[in-house]
Amino acid sequence: MHFRMNFFVLFLSALAYGAPAFCLTTPNISANALFLYRNSNFHKEDADPMNLDEKPNGLNVREMELQLSSDVDPYTRLNLLFSISPVYEANGTGVEETWALEPEEAYAESNVVPGVLLKIGKLKAFMGKHNLLHTHAAPFIESPLANTSLLGEEGLNDAGLSAGLLLPASWFSELTLQYLRGKGENEEFRSPTPGEGVGLAHWKNLFDLSDDLTMEIGISYAQGGNSYRETTSLSGADWTLKWRPSEGGRYRSLVWAAEYLGRHQSQAGVPQEKGSGVTTWIQYQFAERWASLYRYDTLSMKDSFDPVNLPNETWRRHSLAVVFSPSEFSSFKLEADQRTGGPKNANGDGTERSLFLQANFTIGAHAAHAY
Amino acid sequence: MKKLSFVFTLFIFPFFAFAKVQIATTTTDLAALVRQVGQDQVEVFAIGKGTQDPHQIEAKPSFMVKLRSTDLVLAQGLELESAWLTPLIQGARNPKLLAKEGVMELAAELDPIEIPKGAVSRAEGDVHPGGNPHFQLDPIRLGKAALLIAARLGDLVPAKKEFFIKNAEAYLKQMKDKTTAWQERLKKTGIKEVVTYHKTFSYFCDRFAISCLIQLEPKPGIPPTASHLLSVIEQMKKKKIKLVLIENLYEDSVGPRLKQALPDVVVERVPVSVEGEPGIASNEQLIERLVSVFEKGAH
Repeated sequence: MHFRMNFFVLFLSALAYGAPAFCLTTPNISANALFLYRNSNFHKEDADPMNLDEKPNGLNVREMELQLSSDVDPYTRLNLLFSISPVYEANGTGVEETWALEPEEAYAESNVVPGVLLKIGKLKAFMGKHNLLHTHAAPFIESPLANTSLLGEEGLNDAGLSAGLLLPASWFSELTLQYLRGKGENEEFRSPTPGEGVGLAHWKNLFDLSDDLTMEIGISYAQGGNSYRETTSLSGADWTLKWRPSEGGRYRSLVWAAEYLGRHQSQAGVPQEKGSGVTTWIQYQFAERWASLYRYDTLSMKDSFDPVNLPNETWRRHSLAVVFSPSEFSSFKLEADQRTGGPKNANGDGTERSLFLQANFTIGAHAAHAY
Repeated sequence: MKKLSFVFTLFIFPFFAFAKVQIATTTTDLAALVRQVGQDQVEVFAIGKGTQDPHQIEAKPSFMVKLRSTDLVLAQGLELESAWLTPLIQGARNPKLLAKEGVMELAAELDPIEIPKGAVSRAEGDVHPGGNPHFQLDPIRLGKAALLIAARLGDLVPAKKEFFIKNAEAYLKQMKDKTTAWQERLKKTGIKEVVTYHKTFSYFCDRFAISCLIQLEPKPGIPPTASHLLSVIEQMKKKKIKLVLIENLYEDSVGPRLKQALPDVVVERVPVSVEGEPGIASNEQLIERLVSVFEKGAH
């Protein structure tokens, strides 16, 4: 779903022109740019120049985001988030780089019903923790293996309705129910049957273990029709421990998170496909502007419907990163990944080794990320 | 039915009749002010702690639970808390707070200082376009803030409006009297200029005619660099500055380097908020603590 860039430029120009005259009603505008250097033995451009590769080695703009948000009226807020990123397409003689503009999220939200947060529009589904993150907020360059393989590169993201209910408990307990149309970019839920969408539920709980330590536990479940006119179901569980001392919290903090994601797909006449993965990562901030991260994640497939891209084996990956943040609006991340299992590269090598250096810059009134 | 009504009146009504107004504040300084004004007629909790940097509080969902039943949020304002307060208010799903009157920002009403001129850019660091929000160290502005709070509490509980205003007026008078005494004590110290880590002391310095134009941060929100520290040391030598105040939100990593270069200088790590260290439970005690640091620095 790519838009023409010139319309977008016209839209931005109109916003900029209107801003001084109508500053009280101009939305909060922010932009983010991610620049990525990648060196991976799986993305050598000279290995197979005619084989499409959306992640070539070298330096490039990874993604640019433009976010606009504002109150519509006393009842509603509108959030629009556009993503611009390079796409590589074969042109008959080689691979050509083009640019894609996509609405990553576009939804209206309202608190008009007390205790309930209502949303309508295109949004990131509440399927676990990682699926909600925007690219620049993810702890690692690559998404967890389970998220990428079972939900797709863009995650579970579709148009639909959402209701988040804050339950009457002494701790933070929120039940979110969503209905997605099932016609988005997610292959696993693209049912040809008209009106057959996806139902999703997420239950999030957060406990203050002390003033400095919190524990979050969440479970998710989604089910809907798939492109085989059968059913796909997703199940998820997440757990996050966060520590930031009240004294000296500028300089030290710790996050330890784990997430499980499973997918079952049915198709007439063949065994049910089962895929599941677990990721666990730890981030330790050891100075005001420095943090180190480690992640271990796995993916296991059984009776895969696509054994070439999703082979029936167990994938494992280790990731190690260090982050330097000169300010809250910029950061640089150096990351090394090693994956075994899963698809092989053009040379038949089954172990993927990648080195990344990512620069992350944000301007404007960027909304705070969720805790 | 009559029995039921009687039971309701006997057991349920008192909870409504005597329910205290629920106030949340972004800082412990504002919570202490609310206690002065509202006394036993309000229940108040502070989101940030006295040892935390109010720019960088995390929007923990557990605060949303507390804000669910809150009648009013008091914030210092001028974008001090904007990064984390908005998601908390939205996440609380409390219609009272989502209304325009649900959040009261005080700093803009208290004659803010250090309002940047011309275009504001993040190239200058964490600049507040509306002016410096750290008014909590100026006793007179605290007194005036108490009056604003009293008026707002009076809107929420009209029956107690006079009580709140009387308390606020008494507090303002008390702070005016104290300010005169503090001014005399500070004058006796002979200290006319200090170095601070961040621009937290601007209102304190403005009130007590002390210059605090030199910060250890090269720009607001940017940690000290070696070259900037050298520049600060040179300026301190030139201006004969003898006192350095490091807000205890920040680590004292630069203190030893300053002491090494300037052995006669007094470097003090000090609280800048109520509950910023044990024994400081009120705004008055906080300012008293700072005045005593100046007296110590003079010897």
